[in-house]
Parts: sequence; C-alpha cells; structure tokens
Amino acid sequence: MQPDTADPSQPAFLATYLAGLPQPEHEHTGPARSVREDDFDGHHVVITTTYEITVDGRPLDVHIGLSNDGSAHCHGLPAYQLPSLVDLVRVLIRTFPDEFSPQPTPGDGHDGHDGHDGHDGQHTNDHGGAGSSGHSEHGDHPEHGDHSHVRDHGDGDMHGDDRPGGQ
Amino acid sequence: MAAIRPDILRDDQARADYIRGVRLLKHEPTTLTTDRFGISGRARPVYTYDLFVIWHVLAMNTAVPPGGDAGTRNAAHRGPVFLPWHRVMLRWLEAHLQRVLGDPDFGLPYWDWALDGTPPALGGVANPAASALWRDTPDGFGGQGSPVRGGGFAFDRADPTSFRVRIATDSSGALRQVTERGLARKFGQNAPFGSPRLPRTGDVRTAYNTRADPSLADYDRPPFDVSSRGFRNRLEGFTGPGLHNQVHLWVGGDMAPASSPNDPVFFVHHCNVDRLWERWMHRNGRQYQPDMTAPPNLLGHRIDDPLVSPFAPASKPDTPGGVLDVSALYSYDVLP
Repeated sequence: MQPDTADPSQPAFLATYLAGLPQPEHEHTGPARSVREDDFDGHHVVITTTYEITVDGRPLDVHIGLSNDGSAHCHGLPAYQLPSLVDLVRVLIRTFPDEFSPQPTPGDGHDGHDGHDGHDGQHTNDHGGAGSSGHSEHGDHPEHGDHSHVRDHGDGDMHGDDRPGGQ
Repeated sequence: MAAIRPDILRDDQARADYIRGVRLLKHEPTTLTTDRFGISGRARPVYTYDLFVIWHVLAMNTAVPPGGDAGTRNAAHRGPVFLPWHRVMLRWLEAHLQRVLGDPDFGLPYWDWALDGTPPALGGVANPAASALWRDTPDGFGGQGSPVRGGGFAFDRADPTSFRVRIATDSSGALRQVTERGLARKFGQNAPFGSPRLPRTGDVRTAYNTRADPSLADYDRPPFDVSSRGFRNRLEGFTGPGLHNQVHLWVGGDMAPASSPNDPVFFVHHCNVDRLWERWMHRNGRQYQPDMTAPPNLLGHRIDDPLVSPFAPASKPDTPGGVLDVSALYSYDVLP
C-alpha cells in the first residue's frame, strides 16, 4: 500500500513536505563574515566583520552572526546570544565535544569530525543525576585541553569578553 | 470539539498520554529515509517524531526573506514569526498525537516552568530539578544525565522500544545522523553554558506590565529582531530575564542546540510559551506586527505572509494572521 502523501493526518504528508524544502547551505569557505547595517541620521552604515577562528589549530566552520549591540550568535545554538565570541566558541566546544576531539592518526579507527555514522557530537558523558546543582564536574570554563583562537578583523565593538554571558 | 490543553503537573492522565503518544510517534515509520532530507550517511528510516526535529532545524536555517541572513531573522526564530510558527508546529504534533492515541480530544499539555522556577517563599518549589515533571517513574520525564536513565523517555540500548535520539545537528546547525543514543540533559549550568535558574512567576508578570514598559502592549516593534522592544521579543527571551530562551538553557543537553525538539520537554515548554502568548492576546487584543506595509526585508514575517508550514503552498496558507485565533482548535484550562 502506498503512503498517503495527500492526507495531512498521515506522517507521509509532513515528511514529503519537509523533504521538498530547500536545503540550507552550511558550507563556508574562508573567514566567518558578518554584515551589519544601520540607518542613522540619514546615513546608511554597513559594518562587515570577518573572523578567523581556530580550535586546536583547526578552522571552525561556523556561521557567526553579530547583532548591532555587538553580541554574537550562531545557527547551532539558537537560544544563545552571547556578549563574547570567546564564550560562544566555548559553548560550541562543550555542546559538540566530538567535533573538537583530537585529530585521528592514520589507523586509529576514528573517522574525523565530518558527521559520519557512529559519531555523535553530543553529550557522551554522564553528568550526574537529578537534583544535583548542575555545575560541570569539569568546571565552568573549558580549560581541559582545548585551545581556541579567535582573531578579530576589524570589529571595534566586541569588548565583551569579561561581561557575563547567557540570557 | 476543541481540545483543552492542561497543566502537565496537574493532569496525570494527560501526562501519561503525552508520554505514550510521543513513544508511539518515535517508532512510527514515515516511509521516507534520511537521504530525502539531505542528511549524509547511509539512508535510514525517518520516524514521525523525528520529523519535528528536522522541521525545526530546517526552519531555523531558512533565511526569511530568501537570500537574507538566517542569523538576523529566520523562519522560526529571532523575529515576529517566532510565536505563530511554533503555534503551527505544536498543532501538528497535537494532531499526530490525537491520531496515534485514538483520542481526537487530546490536548497537548503545558509545563508551567515559572512555578518550578519560583522559590518556596514566593509559592514555588525548593529545587526545580526535583520538580514532579522529572520523576524517574514511567509517568515522568526522567531527570538529567547523559543518557537520561529514568522516566518514560529512558534509554535502554537493548530495548528497541525505548526512547532514542537518531537525528541531531552539528556545530554549524546542519542535520546529521547520530548513533542511536539516549537523551541528554544538564540542569542549571552557569553562564555561558546555560542558565542557573528557570524564569520565575514574577518574570512572567513583568512581561505583561505595560505600565512599567508600554512597549509590551505591542506584539512587536521595529526593527523586528533580537533587539526589538515589545512582547514577542520579551517572551522569546532576547530582552528581559530570558523566559523562553532561559528554559532551553536551564534544561541544557539536547535542549541547547537547534535539534532541541529531540527532548519531549521541548513541546510542553513551547505549549506554555503559546499559553503565555494567548494570555497576552486576551489582554491586548489579537494584534500582530508587522502588517503588510512593512518593507521587503521583513517578507515572511508580515501578518499575511505564508509561514514555513506544510500548508504554505496551498491556496490557503498558514499565516501569522491566520493563527491568532485558535479557539476552534484548542484552548487552555487556565491562563496565567
């Protein structure tokens, strides 16, 4: 029996609709780029900012966006709007730890960080049961071997690294 | 008959039905496989519940208008369509739950997280992590952990009927397959990784206080983004104490990334967000901004623009204006 893609109550209807949506572009080459625009006193302002972000020497292929107040966000973390790009990279490292694991050496059986089967980028450790304080046993700063490097190319208003992050 | 959406902590039957329905959808094949959604790796079956993970990820990666920047506004977040789009998504899940439960009157329950976030002296609970929602019994959601090992969504690798995560995102927000695993939650992390507390009832009350902030009488205001004043952005959480965003950050784990519908708490959380919006409309009227005179850079967020929903291509698409009054479909047992 063929799935009913014309009946909205059937799963195939929603599935077929979603399969037909345009696929988002996730490939970025070169430095991350953010363009902000503002109209002020009859003037049109465009501020283009580029970042080269590396973690352990590897480029971080993430679309960084900057809002007009200078805070940073990215597609991977929709509920986060952080005053510090350093904090944003730290949250990415903590949220997707396998993407930042040490690079495999030939023959060690790993398949890199390209999203192949069997490579779940999230939460592989048990962080304690219900009722705990929720504080990380690794501390709240990822000072356990990761080395991120954020190079700012010309954005003068990103001075928030010492401000509190989060919502 | 319109469904009545109940408080998940005051209606044991609704909570049990929600858990049972989600588990049924989690194991119901759609006939489509992962390759149809552009997800790399070996083609594997996609199940009905996981469609909602895919939908959320695709919508938030869809720039609105096309060619714009999804980081500025997208088809589901960071702009006026945030509340209408999630209303449509929840209604679709509710309809599928009604189908698999064989109960056309089933109402999606909501989690009144502000009660769990309020200290005992102010009428709340001592520890939000110990809320009855997180009970480890089969009629609870389980607590935190990676994987979550208790409750109705506990993971047991040896039990193919147990709840499992199959599709997630990578750090760029792209869909990816994962080796089937359990849910992850990590409550109350400090900034920047999470939020140490849930919103409180006082935070919710403040969002309706138009004397303190007259902009809260408007649904949204220019520039219609994360810097806007108005009710939408207050509830989404980019202004004020955080509200919607803060709940995602407090729960943590699978609630943090773009694939947050992986955690069934997503839907009871957003049901409460929808309830708070409904309350606001009772006070301020079924109004929405921007209207159709807004400039082209707001295409997709204006009142009569089609939403990214399955009915968008049809002759009568879902629009923000079309979902302001849902009284024919559902109502809430109590508005705050």
